[in-house]
Amino acid sequence: MVTHLVRIVSLAALAYLALPLVVLVGASLTTTSFLAFPPQGLTLAWYGKMLGDPSYVSAFMTSTLLAVAATIVAVVLAVPAAIAIARYRFPGRRLLSEILMSPLILPHVVLGAALLQYGSAIGLVRSFTALLVGHVVIIMPFVLRAVLPQLSDEQRSLEEASADLGAKPLTTFFLVTLPQIRSGLVSGAIFAFIASFINVELSIFNTTAELTTIPVKLFNYVQYTIDPTIAAVSGLTIIVAAIVIVLLDLTIGLDVLSERR
Amino acid sequence: MSGRLRTVLLLCALPAAFFVAFFLAPMAVVLIASLTTPDGHLTFAHYLRILADSYHWDVLWVTFRLGALTTLVSVLIGYPLAWYLVRVVRWRPWRRFCVILLIVPLFTSNIVRSFGWMVLLGRNGLVNDSLIGLGLIERPMRFLGTELGILIGLVYILLPFIVLAVGNALAKVDPALEHAAADLGATPAGTFWTITFPLSLPGLMSGAVMVFMLAVSAYVTPALLSGGRITVFSMLIFQQYSSVFDFNYGGALSITMLVLTLVLVTLAGRLSEPRRA
Repeated sequence: MVTHLVRIVSLAALAYLALPLVVLVGASLTTTSFLAFPPQGLTLAWYGKMLGDPSYVSAFMTSTLLAVAATIVAVVLAVPAAIAIARYRFPGRRLLSEILMSPLILPHVVLGAALLQYGSAIGLVRSFTALLVGHVVIIMPFVLRAVLPQLSDEQRSLEEASADLGAKPLTTFFLVTLPQIRSGLVSGAIFAFIASFINVELSIFNTTAELTTIPVKLFNYVQYTIDPTIAAVSGLTIIVAAIVIVLLDLTIGLDVLSERR
Repeated sequence: MSGRLRTVLLLCALPAAFFVAFFLAPMAVVLIASLTTPDGHLTFAHYLRILADSYHWDVLWVTFRLGALTTLVSVLIGYPLAWYLVRVVRWRPWRRFCVILLIVPLFTSNIVRSFGWMVLLGRNGLVNDSLIGLGLIERPMRFLGTELGILIGLVYILLPFIVLAVGNALAKVDPALEHAAADLGATPAGTFWTITFPLSLPGLMSGAVMVFMLAVSAYVTPALLSGGRITVFSMLIFQQYSSVFDFNYGGALSITMLVLTLVLVTLAGRLSEPRRA
């Protein structure tokens, strides 16, 4: 009886989770000039229209470049910090880790506003760099959170052995430490990349008509007009997300909810 | 010892400098702006203006009511769904599919997800068409621009957080404890309420706190689904910075929101398990 109720609620919830995504992908295939679901006829014309519009293509390029650059910077900054936090006891260690993790709980609108105000004072506004530094701040916690648990104490002895055998610190890092944290680094970097790629709240303060990311462009667009091109842009991001997740599932495994028996 | 300290400095200097320059300094600028007049004198006027203006209290009330309702509904739907995925589903490929379904929304922008609901909840959207088709209503209901519409959108966006948090906690519950309770004569419901539920509570709490915080600070979803009819707190902040250009007053609003969020985090930290991921 209770199990039946759980089953009904769950299937309804799963349908609820799928519905908007299915509707957008469906509506992007309609032959009508307005959004229709179920789609009337099937066409890829709206995807063609999107790809033929240089402003969408450039927004996609900006988003991708920004997410790649921010992820690289975040990894380069987060990995040494994670090693210091996991391997050494030093004054201010707790404070450092709390500050580095705090963007996770900070309202992004507040941080975006802060960066705009601060950026106006130091001349760092509405540029790729201005977007980049903000994105690095909000995505670094994802890398840190994924890497830290993998720097366990058991593995420290391997690093010490490597050092005892005469390896230089950098050699030890690349040959011993990096392979240990690789899977955490990969999943952390993927989550960081996605967090940057889909961000609106932070980017919106520093974008312009020429320099805009795809979520911000969508946000500004849907408030005035709704047409199947928007559905096509949305559809493309949904399809990309689904592909990334299936790849993640096949490589590192996403079956996070199995009972550990 | 000094060698170790030098290593630590070497490792932390860049990340720490980056965070000082692009995180702590901007936040300090906002804090200072919120406490000063445009020509640089100390003042509490911006905070007093927030406290004295009943409009702000209304907006805060709407924001926190939406946050609380979002959390409540997410828990009521999310707990059974987590239970279903961990305890009911036996066929692995189906569970795998469900988990992917749960995570895909997390990997798509708030914009895209809210836009999906704009399409669904419109006057001639699928939801109204279905309700009319089922004979439940006669004329299309208004969803966009109502708190119900925003609630549907926020729950949609935040539900996966609850499910993942509760699901993780449920997956870790040692079945031996439940077997023991059953062997000692507890009914299934008794076992659930005395053993399983308390063990899943830390996960439920941390998920619920996360949902509440993200719901009260959400900007995109309320902005798109409110149609300009309902204002939440993050919109006030955005207005000050994007159209009013009153950085001092905007700063005070930001700090107010930040303090409210931090108070919640601290309270939640006390309530949920000491070790959090």
